[in-house]
Amino acid sequence: MRPGPLPDFSHTQSAHCESGVAASLLRHKGIEISEAMAFGIGGGLFFGYLPFIRLNGLPLVTYRSAAGHILKRISRIPGISMHQQKFRDKSQAMAALDDALAHSIPVGLQTGVYWLPYFPSALRFHFNAHNLVVYGKEGDEYLISDPVFPGPVRCPGEDLARARFASGALAPKGKMYYLTRVPENLERRSLIVKGIRSVCKMMLGSPFPLIGVKGIRFLANRLERWPDRLGKENAALHVGHVVRMQEEIGTGGGGFRFMYAAFLQESGVVLEDQSLADYAALLTQAGDSWRQFAVIAARICKNRARPEDTYTVMAESIRQCASLEENFFRELEGWVKKQS
Amino acid sequence: MEPFERELLELICTTCNFDDVEMDKIDRHAPLIGPESPLGADSLDALEIAVTIQREYGVRMDSENTSRTVLQSLATLAQYVDSNRAH
Repeated sequence: MRPGPLPDFSHTQSAHCESGVAASLLRHKGIEISEAMAFGIGGGLFFGYLPFIRLNGLPLVTYRSAAGHILKRISRIPGISMHQQKFRDKSQAMAALDDALAHSIPVGLQTGVYWLPYFPSALRFHFNAHNLVVYGKEGDEYLISDPVFPGPVRCPGEDLARARFASGALAPKGKMYYLTRVPENLERRSLIVKGIRSVCKMMLGSPFPLIGVKGIRFLANRLERWPDRLGKENAALHVGHVVRMQEEIGTGGGGFRFMYAAFLQESGVVLEDQSLADYAALLTQAGDSWRQFAVIAARICKNRARPEDTYTVMAESIRQCASLEENFFRELEGWVKKQS
Repeated sequence: MEPFERELLELICTTCNFDDVEMDKIDRHAPLIGPESPLGADSLDALEIAVTIQREYGVRMDSENTSRTVLQSLATLAQYVDSNRAH
């Protein structure tokens, strides 16, 4: 099928791919929304330390909700309809993409980063839940708005097909999605309150010791014992992995805490409620505390540790993050209760 | 290289223990972080640079987009810090 006229798709670079794609697709449909707001109403903030799940042999630590969670919450907003499809067959998946493009529909895709040739080789890794938007096709090349890049990029069809069918954890299985209907305006108050409520529940109310504030303390206790249990070199590898998940991989820094603070600040303006800006300041403090831990960890990983840089100090620093976040989420939970 | 850029370069080298850098040969527009960085700085160094800049000059870099843009080169970093710090 011949590609249709290129939609007037506006590319915006973002910190995190899923919230960036969600915001881009909504903006394309005429809903003005920031990445931070999409992250917040999508209930994106989280903490989980799941040592029984391994990424390249290292325990999974995550500062955000599961891949796909933000898009799922946004697709359930009243008035929004999102077409989503997975495939078993590569050629069917590419034909469905071409069909949508023929109708000038920008399409969100889940892909494996490793197979996207426009990523510099140093940044390619086996992560299969990377979201991007395909907004056109020229010859055999797809025109892509990849939210982590400063401008639009291009990708040959064969490579894109491979990225859509990357195997392993979180295999995308050709997943594609696009918005078919949006309301004229988003009723932001209820979406903000619901988004905040869901995050408070996960961070404070989870019965599992590996999730939320309890999970942060669990990580602190584990990390303190890593040098004895794993040896110096392996302990440094583990701690480096925690920092990378916290400060890289599209987190916006401080394990998504700064992005959520931006959401609260924006929400304070939208709802004309100064208390949300005050809560944003509390969370920024927690983000700074996460960074203090990360800086010590970075020095240990880079073999330039100072005498005071120890695993005990890092663990204490993480416990400090847990206390700050517990206080922050209790306050925020109180705010949510006042809204109903 | 402007004096303030030189000051920042010295701070970066001290923070990240870059001992063998010939400061006069560093291009102010060269990439500060990544495989093409003449300093050989990576993302863990970038984190430490961001935190040190915040401590020394009171200027935050807390969104990934801000860090990406600001840490492009010594020149962009100097301009960002200079225009955001309290004089």
